[in-house]
Amino acid sequence: MILAPFTLHRPESLAEALSLAAKLPDGGYDWIGGGTDLLQNYKNRLNAKDHVIALDRVPEMRGISAERIGAGERLAVISESAVVRERWPGLAEAITHVASPLIRNSGTLGGNLLVETRCYYFNQTPFWRGTKGSCMKAESDECLVVPQKEICYAAYSGDLAPILGVLSATLELASPAGTREVRIDEFYAGDGIRKNVKRADEIIVGVKVPAEASTLRAGYRKLRHRDALDYPEMGCAAALRLDPSGRIELLRAATTAVDVVPHFLDFSELMRGQEPDTAFAEVAAAMEERAQPKKNTSMPVGYRKKMVRVYLGRLLDDLRAGRTEGRIPAA
Amino acid sequence: MAETQPLRGPFRVPSAADRPPKQVVRLNVNGHAREVAVRPSDVLLDTLRDDLGLTGTTRGCDMGTCGCCTVHVDGRPVLSCLTLTLLAEGAEIRTIEDVAPAGTDLHPVQRAFAQHGGSQCGFCTPGFIMTSVALLARRPDPSDEEIRREISGNMCRCTGYNKIVESVRVAAAELRGEEVASVASPGDLDVPRGAYDKPAGAYRSNGHGGGKSR
Repeated sequence: MILAPFTLHRPESLAEALSLAAKLPDGGYDWIGGGTDLLQNYKNRLNAKDHVIALDRVPEMRGISAERIGAGERLAVISESAVVRERWPGLAEAITHVASPLIRNSGTLGGNLLVETRCYYFNQTPFWRGTKGSCMKAESDECLVVPQKEICYAAYSGDLAPILGVLSATLELASPAGTREVRIDEFYAGDGIRKNVKRADEIIVGVKVPAEASTLRAGYRKLRHRDALDYPEMGCAAALRLDPSGRIELLRAATTAVDVVPHFLDFSELMRGQEPDTAFAEVAAAMEERAQPKKNTSMPVGYRKKMVRVYLGRLLDDLRAGRTEGRIPAA
Repeated sequence: MAETQPLRGPFRVPSAADRPPKQVVRLNVNGHAREVAVRPSDVLLDTLRDDLGLTGTTRGCDMGTCGCCTVHVDGRPVLSCLTLTLLAEGAEIRTIEDVAPAGTDLHPVQRAFAQHGGSQCGFCTPGFIMTSVALLARRPDPSDEEIRREISGNMCRCTGYNKIVESVRVAAAELRGEEVASVASPGDLDVPRGAYDKPAGAYRSNGHGGGKSR
């Protein structure tokens, strides 16, 4: 399919990228990292803009260290890097759940965090939308999932927000006004159209991971039809630390693809000192309770909601036993 | 004939007038510097097939799902249907045509696909070969599990994948210099002369079996 036409800009630095964007009309441009999400939508004529600003040559968005991952780094490079595999094996393994190896060779971390929310009525060709009638996230003003005109119910379907959330990562957002930091668990807000607190002229430059993260056992589990390519029908992540007597010291959980935003909850205060078995059951039930999937992906809503408890329970048992899925890429 | 109904909805249909002009870009394709005029919205797949005539790279879904259009950019297999040509400037691009340039023997991976049934209709084969070649360059002795993971972004509707995994395993052994038992190729069978002109498997594995250009 032919891409919607646009003018491409390729700045060589963060300052150049920001000043370039400031000269373009508001809402008249998109940032592009790997392009594996954006270009699919452009091919489907979904909210294509007249200008696209490529961030692949911005040096400030590169680099992988023990404190920070550049948002422009390719997913495959991140999951293969020695630092990430050693310090945050749960993140390295979660990345192997994203799309396919070919897409991970192009796709970037920032792009994954900002992946377009997905809906059965939105991710379709112009022809399909022309027959069915378009939704409020595309050309019309009405939602086709839950008929009303206020809230877009497209599901947030990123794989990496949950795992980075339970690791307490922070996003560096750069704009002409300066740089600010936002915790990932406070970043996503709104609905399927508003999505997050990032303003259009802001760029995610990097993701900071606190030192504490490397002391946690963390992982991500994903429900989907095939073991590759598919977006999550439900995804969940957890981070765990037990005290020397085997009781809960720290416990955080997150889910994705079961609402318009990912859910993050820190159970550490509530569960500190408890027996893992009872705590795990309560955490899994609480996250299931919170999940609000809508009928806009291919699996049944009730099933996706129930699987939160099942997958999260299994994940927490695996974390306690120190089991992984065996997907961490070799060096 | 009935008049064609326009699509409902305010869809933006690109006209030649509102498309940004072409610009000249220098690409490094298969070791050669090529200059080509492209639009900013051209993807590498368009440029390779339509402007450079390298039709071995096939257009499957054109949406990043099937993996047919896989090429190497700086040594990594990527989807050329989702790579903007202008962003591939300065990178080393390698297509199926360079795996075994005309006049040379097939690459061991191609030979294994041809001999072990890794290629049937042949449409997806260039993508699988590019993915497999990149895998074996990084990892000379992959497990079956690793092979399956690595080719999980390529789709094949003929083989059921077992033959492809077997082909990659055989190619890996050959590339490591191990003795590989030869399998009868279609060319060795007792078929009347003229029944077919080209050894089909080899032909397809070399990236010349794809469909017509768009």
